[in-house]
Amino acid sequence: MAEKEYEAKIIGFFCNWCTYAGADLAGVSRLQYPANIRVIRVMCSGTVSPHHVLRAFQKGADGVLIGGCHIGDCHYLKGNYMTIKRMTFLQDLLKFTGFEDGRLHLEWISAAEGPKFAQVIREFTEKIKKMGPSRLKIAPKAA
Amino acid sequence: MDRLRKKVRNLLKDGKVAGYLGYIMKDGHPLPHLFTPERPEEVDQAIVAPGDARYPLDKLLQQLTSGYPDATFAIQVRGCDERGLNELYKWGQLDPEKVVLVGVACPQDQADYCECAGPWPSVIDSGDKCAPVLRSLRVDRIDALSGEAAFQEWMGAFNKCIKCYGCRDICPMCFCKECALEHPDLMSTGKVPPDSIFQLVRAIHMAGRCIDCGLCEENCPADIPLRVLYKKGNALVKDLFDYDTGSLTTGLSPWKFLGEESGMETKPM
Repeated sequence: MAEKEYEAKIIGFFCNWCTYAGADLAGVSRLQYPANIRVIRVMCSGTVSPHHVLRAFQKGADGVLIGGCHIGDCHYLKGNYMTIKRMTFLQDLLKFTGFEDGRLHLEWISAAEGPKFAQVIREFTEKIKKMGPSRLKIAPKAA
Repeated sequence: MDRLRKKVRNLLKDGKVAGYLGYIMKDGHPLPHLFTPERPEEVDQAIVAPGDARYPLDKLLQQLTSGYPDATFAIQVRGCDERGLNELYKWGQLDPEKVVLVGVACPQDQADYCECAGPWPSVIDSGDKCAPVLRSLRVDRIDALSGEAAFQEWMGAFNKCIKCYGCRDICPMCFCKECALEHPDLMSTGKVPPDSIFQLVRAIHMAGRCIDCGLCEENCPADIPLRVLYKKGNALVKDLFDYDTGSLTTGLSPWKFLGEESGMETKPM
């Protein structure tokens, strides 16, 4: 019998105006994508603090996906300027501390990009499944 | 030392400052002290603190100015303390018009120990400039490790944490009234060692703000190499946003404004 595939837990922070609407479009277009992602809707990807991402990892997420509007399309004009600053920095810091930076991903997905949304979810889920459980999850607890 | 005492005496005598925040030798201990015009004789005991007896004078100054918002104070600064003051000006915590610097240049062994790239302030009233240390070997060592090895190393360090908040409480740059480290929704409460992300949350706050005084690491009862983490954070801020922490010439911290345009690209999956 084939070994049971690892079911990764992925947290998605999606902005209300673009990526969440993109997810909606993927839904009404009946596009298939894996159900490993748990979506949290935020008003702007710029409201996602690095704390939320770290907290998600601490609580056992294997991957975190941030979805926002394309640069220049932000509903709040420049909210996503801060998103990319923060997340790029956090990815590099996670890499330095050995937390596997690839588990945090930022993608711009507009409300019209339903197929792209499904594609990104498929690829990201595939990648995280391959990586297996996060190191933070399997780290031995201190005595 | 005489040069420094003379400057302090003049400042107090001229009435330019309400006090001088420096160090005094008391019963054989170097301690932080506020010298005032009312007791000029104390200035004879004013000293430059030795490297292993430093205090967060910038933090004490913030407390002083909250009690006396209109007064001007002189303060003894090393290179790191001045960077701290510059950063605090930018974050609106201190008024540069109300601070007079009494500068101390660090000796070479201190700069080597700190791996400090700027071991002297813009005003020097004691000591001489020494050679700065431009690369941190401690950061380079971790950078060279594989992901798994780095993770093990950091986990080993983080698991020693006793959650005393000493790093935060001594930090001259930690001025928030509400702290993310104490937020029950962001950090688990009632367990030691704390969540593994505890130090990372602090590292995020310290990026572009840490002035590398090293007090956190010296204060840490568990000897967690916090300084390496914060040095790397600042190096990343420099690489990504070209921001020199504590410099008056590179504008505001990247976390303080959105920017006119964003030239950054998302990383490939």
